[in-house]
Amino acid sequence: MSTPRSPLPYASEGHQRAHQFLVEEAHLLDTGEMEAWLGLLTDDIRYVMPVQVTRSRGAGATGPAMDHLDEDLHALRLRVQRLATGHAWTEEPPSRTRHFVTNVRTFPGPAAHELVVESAVLLWRSRGDDRPPELVSAGRDDLLRDDGYGGLRLARRLVRVDEAVLRTQNLAILL
Amino acid sequence: MVDVAAITAAVRDGYVPAHVYNDAGVFALEAERLFARSWTFVAHESEIPNNGDFVKRRVLADSFLVTRDEIGAVRVLLNMCVHRGMQVCRAEAGTTSLFRCPYHGWTYRSDGRLVGLPFRAEAYGVDDGFAHGDEGLLPAPSVAIHNGLVFVSLDPAAPPFEDWLGDFAYYLDFYTRQSPAGVEVRGPQRWRVRANWKIGAENFTGDSYHTPHTHASVVDIGLFGEPKAHKRKEGVLYHVGPGGGTTYKLPPGLGLAGGLRYVGYPDEMIERMAATWTPGQQALIGESGFIFSAATLFPNLSFVHNWPRIDAAGTVAPFISLRVWQPVGPDETEVLSWFAVARDAPEDFKARSYRAYLLCFGSSGMFEQDDVENWVSITAAAGGRMARRLLLDSRMGLDGQGRPIKATHAGFAGPGTAYQGFGEHNQRHWLRQWCDAIERDPPEVAPSARGGAWPGR
Repeated sequence: MSTPRSPLPYASEGHQRAHQFLVEEAHLLDTGEMEAWLGLLTDDIRYVMPVQVTRSRGAGATGPAMDHLDEDLHALRLRVQRLATGHAWTEEPPSRTRHFVTNVRTFPGPAAHELVVESAVLLWRSRGDDRPPELVSAGRDDLLRDDGYGGLRLARRLVRVDEAVLRTQNLAILL
Repeated sequence: MVDVAAITAAVRDGYVPAHVYNDAGVFALEAERLFARSWTFVAHESEIPNNGDFVKRRVLADSFLVTRDEIGAVRVLLNMCVHRGMQVCRAEAGTTSLFRCPYHGWTYRSDGRLVGLPFRAEAYGVDDGFAHGDEGLLPAPSVAIHNGLVFVSLDPAAPPFEDWLGDFAYYLDFYTRQSPAGVEVRGPQRWRVRANWKIGAENFTGDSYHTPHTHASVVDIGLFGEPKAHKRKEGVLYHVGPGGGTTYKLPPGLGLAGGLRYVGYPDEMIERMAATWTPGQQALIGESGFIFSAATLFPNLSFVHNWPRIDAAGTVAPFISLRVWQPVGPDETEVLSWFAVARDAPEDFKARSYRAYLLCFGSSGMFEQDDVENWVSITAAAGGRMARRLLLDSRMGLDGQGRPIKATHAGFAGPGTAYQGFGEHNQRHWLRQWCDAIERDPPEVAPSARGGAWPGR
C-alpha cells in the first residue's frame, strides 16, 4: 500500500491545468481529432493497459503479467494512421464515443515540471444502428509534463481497466 | 427443432445454412454433442509452473480448475463442491495448497481430494457416515498434455489424444515446440465479442482470401507487408487430422536458416529449431519454402504466426499467439488470447516478439480489430428469418461438379492435403468435422459415485 497522499487543492493552478488537459484530451478523442491527440504526447510516451486478473486478496501473481496495450509513440502513431486509412473496418463507419472523465486528483510530480494525475474514465461506444452500446470503465494514472511553452504533455499513462473480461469488441478506441 | 440431417447435407455439399451462425437450437446441439465429447484446450503448463499453482478455465458453462498438485502433476477438476455445488474457487489464477468452499467449509487439496469438513463427527458420525479419503472434486473425464498444452474431454470414452491429433502434431510443433524447452505463455487477454464461435475457428484454419481486403490497412501503414493478394495466394493451405492451417511462400532459395531469419528469428533460436524439429518438419521451410501462418485445431483452438515491422527502423519480429473461441451463446464468444514464445529465447527477442503480438493480434491488435468487426456483423445478420433461406457459398476451390479446380501441391513437405492458392478446402474440412460431431448422439455418461469420486494418484 502506498502512503496516503493529499491531492492538490481543486482551486490550485496545478489541478486546474491537469483537469483541463484531461477534458480537452477527451474532446479530441471523441471528435476523432487523433493527429491533434498525438500532439499531446511526449516523445517518450509510454501507454500501458494491463489485463486485470481476478485474484484472491493477498495472493500474488503467477507468471509474467499480460497487457492489452503497451505502447510507445511509434505504436500509437501507427494506430492513429490506421484509423485514417479509410479501411480500418472496425471504425468504418466510426463509432460514436464519449469519454466521461471524473474523480480527478492531482499530485505534485516526481520533477518540478511534472504532475501526477489520477482520473476515472467511462467510455461509451456506440457502433452502427443495430447493436447495444459498449462500456469500458477504467482508472487512469497519468504523468503530465510541462512542455515549457505553457502547455502540458502526457508522458505516462497506466489504464487500470475495471473488467477481467472486456465487453467491447476491441480496443480500437483508446482510453 | 433443428433438422440436423438437412443442415449437414447442405454443409457437406459446400453450402452452409447461414442461420447456423446464430441459432439457439444449433448452439444447444453443439453443447450436448460437440463440446460434450471433443478434446478442447484449457491451459498451457507454463501458466502453472509451481506446485499449488492453478488457473480457472471453462468448457462452455463447466468451470474447471487446472492445478499443479503437491507432487507436480497437472489435474483438471470440476470447480464445484461435491456437497452443495458451490464453486470452491472464484479467483482466475493463483497459488494455494487448499480450496475451501465458502458455503460450509469443505476443503480440498490441489489434487482434488477432500481433506476436511467442519464438524465431521457431529455431522456424519465418526466412522461409517462418510467415507473419508476417497471423495473429492470431480475430475475432468479425460485429460491429455501435448507440448505443454492441456486438453480435456468431457467424454470418458474419448479417443486417445495422440491418435485423434494424428499428423497435425507435425504442425503443432512449429507453434509450441521451437526448442526442447517448449514455450511459455503470457495471458490470456480475455474479451467478449457478439459473434458466433465458429466464424473465428473457420477463419484461422484457412481463410487466406480475406487477408488482402480485410487487412489492407495494416499494409498501408507499413506494419506488415505480406498480406497483399499476390503474397497470400502463393501460400499453401493444408489440412490433416483435426487441424488445418495456412502458410506463406518464402522468397526463393533461403533454406531453413534463411527462411527463419527472414521472419526475424535470431540464429541461436534457429539452431535450436534445427536441433528440435525432424528433417521432415525442417523441410517445410527449408525445402518447400513455406512458413507457417494461421491454423485451427478443431474445434476452437487457433494459432497465429506473423512477423510485422515493429519500429520506425523496420525491425521485423515474429510472434506466436494461441487463442480459444469460447462459446458463450449462439451470438456471443469469449476470446482468450495468449502470447507464446520459446521458453529459452533471448530476453530481448521475447520483448520484441511480445511487442509484435500486441501490435497485431489480441484485444487491441490491429489485425484482429477488423476481423471481429466482420464476425459481429455476420452473426447479427445470421439471426434473421431470411438467413434460414440463405445457403452461404463455401465452395471456393471447387468446380461446378464439386471437383478441386487444381491438383494438390506436390512440392509441399508437410503431411495432409495441401493446395496452393485461394480455396475453402480447410474450412470445409473443419465443417465436415462439425457435421460429424452434431450428427452423433450425445455421449452416454454415468453419474459420478456419491460425493464425487477421488480417483487416487
